[in-house]
Amino acid sequence: MTNQSQPQKFIVPIGPQHPALKEPGHFEFGVDGEIVTSATIRLGFVHRGIEKATEDRTWVQNLYLLERICGICSNIHGTVYAIGVEKLAGVEIPPRAKYIRTIVAELERVHSHLLWLGVAAHEGGFDTLFMYSWRDRETVMDLLEGLSGNRVNYSTNLIGGVKFDINEKQADEIRRGLDFLEERTHYYMKVVTTDETFLGRTRDIGTMTREQAELLGAVGPTARASGVPRDVRSESPYLAYNEHPIQLQVHDGGDLLARFIVRLNELFDTYRLIRELLDHMPAGDLTVRVPRRIPEGEVLIRGEAPRGELVYYLKSSGSDKPDRIKVRTPSLCNWGTISHVAVGHKLADMPMLLVGIDPCFSCNDRLVTVNNTQNSQDLTWDALRRYGIEYYK
Amino acid sequence: METKLPSTWEKALDSIRTWARVNSPWVIHFNSGSCNGCDIEILATLTPRYDLERFGVKLQGSPRHADVLICTGPVTRNARDRLVRIYNQMPDPKFVVVVGSCGLSGGVFHGSYNVMGGVDEVIPVDAYVPGCPPRPEAIIHGVVALLDSLKKKP
Amino acid sequence: MDTTTALETAQSLLQPWAQTVTQPEPHRSDFVVAPADLLAAVQALMDARWGYLGAITGVDLPAPAPAEGQPPAESHLAALYQFFNGAAVATLRVTVTHAQPVLPSICDIIPSATIYERELIEMFGFDIENTPVTDHLLLPDDWPQNVYPLRKSFTGFGGAESA
Repeated sequence: MTNQSQPQKFIVPIGPQHPALKEPGHFEFGVDGEIVTSATIRLGFVHRGIEKATEDRTWVQNLYLLERICGICSNIHGTVYAIGVEKLAGVEIPPRAKYIRTIVAELERVHSHLLWLGVAAHEGGFDTLFMYSWRDRETVMDLLEGLSGNRVNYSTNLIGGVKFDINEKQADEIRRGLDFLEERTHYYMKVVTTDETFLGRTRDIGTMTREQAELLGAVGPTARASGVPRDVRSESPYLAYNEHPIQLQVHDGGDLLARFIVRLNELFDTYRLIRELLDHMPAGDLTVRVPRRIPEGEVLIRGEAPRGELVYYLKSSGSDKPDRIKVRTPSLCNWGTISHVAVGHKLADMPMLLVGIDPCFSCNDRLVTVNNTQNSQDLTWDALRRYGIEYYK
Repeated sequence: METKLPSTWEKALDSIRTWARVNSPWVIHFNSGSCNGCDIEILATLTPRYDLERFGVKLQGSPRHADVLICTGPVTRNARDRLVRIYNQMPDPKFVVVVGSCGLSGGVFHGSYNVMGGVDEVIPVDAYVPGCPPRPEAIIHGVVALLDSLKKKP
Repeated sequence: MDTTTALETAQSLLQPWAQTVTQPEPHRSDFVVAPADLLAAVQALMDARWGYLGAITGVDLPAPAPAEGQPPAESHLAALYQFFNGAAVATLRVTVTHAQPVLPSICDIIPSATIYERELIEMFGFDIENTPVTDHLLLPDDWPQNVYPLRKSFTGFGGAESA
């Protein structure tokens, strides 16, 4: 029999297979009634040992391996890696290749944000919005497939350039697709900011202040929705972001609603940027030659994935294989914020909170214990039943 | 106590069961180490453009309600036990569809220290859908091929 | 603050502890720091609010095979603490030996460093003193002890199991 005067904690385990999670992660929420008092996250179910595997593949083979770290932000992994290898090799890719890389990176952001919008709506129980946004997302999938031939792993990059060109006809198709998506995005913005039922799930849920976001090292739209002006594309411009700067989207709300608004505003900016890039594409070659053996050295490359800052550290010992590749993905940084924003919310809000940072388990392939639950205790069914009756008496 | 039905009745019941199973298979999705690529394509097959639900397929959450397990990704050391547990929780008869090259053989991750290999190293598999990732049409084809094979079973 | 000023500020902040300073790229400075000085150096950066911790990268530096008749040289492990400030990157480079891979934990100064430290412990076999959590980060619970996959000596699982 339990002692009623002691605060009791129940652990609700969720995952790794769970209807609200499309990817495996294991969560243990300590709850007091409906209210979450602690959160433990255990990942690592998709740890595939990629960093080690890169060490016995050549620089070129790794391009294909690293692209498969994550199926949603596949292109940015390849792009950041390729920029790093080119830097090590000391080659400069042609300007047209830079523009194509940027355009594909931005199209990927469109697909990723629309995907996120749908999944977030689904977790909030708003399946109509989920179906709408995924239907419209097929537009950008078609555009990407038209350019690259694959819907998910575009394989845009070569070391030393890009694989495909964008001709006038394709550019017009992209422009048409973007016009349609822009109109739809206006509609989504209206829905998420005015639908009372949905606002009930997002407004003032999971609020994270700017101080918290900075302390916990949040990145990407999660940080920008808490007012942290942090975006690699404007901090440390790469590719064509120097010539065509982005407009940084920041919101002070810090709650889930702010994250919706930031991501949708980013979509508008991305549409503008892609049009601008298409209009100003320089002519020229797509590739330059890169030696098979990469000179000795190390570089640190940062890029802005749809979820935030992506960091690659490459070390070469002068051979045709890398000596060490370290990948720091944005989701890893954002996990730490969950434990802080989860506490005090209802258990039913947890899926929304989790999806609010747009987590990407395969990007993490890591495991995090954020907040250790102490005072754990096993109850028998009988004791549990009695406790329940006492609690709600 | 067991009631023995006449064999004609048994046959009729079996055909009704198969009819029901083929027309409304409930699927569960598990990612045992995939990169997400296949998972988002599976989700895409459920959304309006491809609409897998027109075949009566319903994605739902609990393995105890599921007829078909759609599995993506190579099997990592961490996920192996979970995969087996989910498979064991499903009621008989159960079917497994593997989506993506990694689930077939380990794909690009083959040989990595934390990857056991394809899904069929861990649980029996009925249908394979190759591709990295397979197109939604290919996933639909895989599921339909599985359903067709059920119809032909005695 | 532009990149050059940021790097100059970092250099003046780290002056007391930096053994050598190199600038391999225009936006990146490397500071070699002794393990004993690591905490003070990190504290100095954080007190001045110089950027944020972007990553901690472990690198295995095995000794080259010894020449005939020579005693084997000592193998090393390096930990690179990478701080970002705008486009500027400051790396604190700490090197320890395989025999005594001891580093202090920086979690008291930067709480979010715990995940990186756990990764160092399990993938490279660092011994990080006073780090709050030492559970497995990436590897399964049944992973054998003292097998560190990102060390160069680890080649596939078969080799490690026999070792």
